[in-house]
Amino acid sequence: MTKEVYVCKTADIDEEDVKRFDYEDQTYCVYHTPDGFFASDGYCTHEEQHLEDGIVIDNVIECPLHQGRFDVRSGKALSAPVCIDLNTYPVEIRDGGIYLCLDTEPTT
Amino acid sequence: MTAETFAATGAASSGITLERKTLKALCRRSDLPGLIYLGKWALALVISGYGVYLALGTTWIWLAALIYGTVLSVPVYAMSHETAHGTAFRSRWLNETVMWICALLYLEEPLHRRYTHTNHHTYTWHVGKDSQISDIPMTFPIWLDEVSGFGLIRSHFRILTQLAAARYTETMKSVIPADEFPRLRRNAWYFLGFYVAIGVAIGLGATWLWWFLVLPTLLGRTVMLLFTVIQHVEMAENSPSILNSTRSCKSSPIASFLYLNMENHVEHHLYPQVPFFALPALHRELKDQLPTPDPGFWRTNIEVLSVVMRRSLGRGTKARTIRQAPHMITDGGTAP
Repeated sequence: MTKEVYVCKTADIDEEDVKRFDYEDQTYCVYHTPDGFFASDGYCTHEEQHLEDGIVIDNVIECPLHQGRFDVRSGKALSAPVCIDLNTYPVEIRDGGIYLCLDTEPTT
Repeated sequence: MTAETFAATGAASSGITLERKTLKALCRRSDLPGLIYLGKWALALVISGYGVYLALGTTWIWLAALIYGTVLSVPVYAMSHETAHGTAFRSRWLNETVMWICALLYLEEPLHRRYTHTNHHTYTWHVGKDSQISDIPMTFPIWLDEVSGFGLIRSHFRILTQLAAARYTETMKSVIPADEFPRLRRNAWYFLGFYVAIGVAIGLGATWLWWFLVLPTLLGRTVMLLFTVIQHVEMAENSPSILNSTRSCKSSPIASFLYLNMENHVEHHLYPQVPFFALPALHRELKDQLPTPDPGFWRTNIEVLSVVMRRSLGRGTKARTIRQAPHMITDGGTAP
């Protein structure tokens, strides 16, 4: 069953930016890209560096530690040193708010 | 994944803070600064290369080749490093193209560089973990081997032959995914083939490759290594703080240009996602939290040379002005 968790207002995340969201004992990142809003696990799959200080370029999140890159739409690892894809999660936009859809199977 | 703290060496482990909006602005990527830099670099190479051309057949060739080699080798190192980080350009294809060209000239397979450079940032100057750490403490023979360039050339060709022969070291296995090795092995063969082709071409009469590529590279690498040796030498090993393990230096405009502002080396290790063109601005934002940069290229290198020579002679190793880890300073004999 899908649980929608309110993250923040859409206006709270600038375009080409990322926001950390912690819920229960998990941590996530929510991205605002030219193609819309996306969400993934919060930690880079290379080493346990949180992606909240990463750079969003178009639809790519770059880890701040070693600049490994992921496509936030699919979680796909794009360049060394990252090689394991990120788990991504559906995002709903409703009434100007961002909702993270959890308790579904990760889309990667 | 749970919200746990990971202690890679960087700003957080060093107690350095920067307002998020400021960091985001500094990290913004663009192709333009890198393209402008390539244009200036090309012009500098043409001018200094013309000096080599004029000096051919005279004893001035050595000086001309050293100058041209410096203009060639220091930016080759700096740009290969910047593109390995992926921060030189916003456009990925441009970044990777420049990375490959510079990697060929730097003699290191670029994926190997990209993967192994990670533990230098995760465990900066940690013994047994940082694959780029040199012998500690540095003595004169170690210094000579390092700045002469022979140590680096040996290392680069050893790595290329190991990759080509699929004889992967424990360091390689620890940082490179196993399914990447076939790609690195193929690339190593390309690199070795390129260098053999250059050698054959020179043997067949293409002596311009010797005067305009090989000799300047051999001479210029010494200058390049004088830039890089002062990044961490005499600093503290195994410290979580970049401020203790790393050195920033003052720099002349020419040196900053050649080095892509990497004299701001503390700043780079604190925030490696900041591109080269924003490093001076990052320094200005952080300077109240950081030690004063050490003197410039010449002064810092002279003091490092003085320290390592005195260490090798069993004399006191306190430097006049450059920063040193306390345990590097002894009254005589080799530091523990």
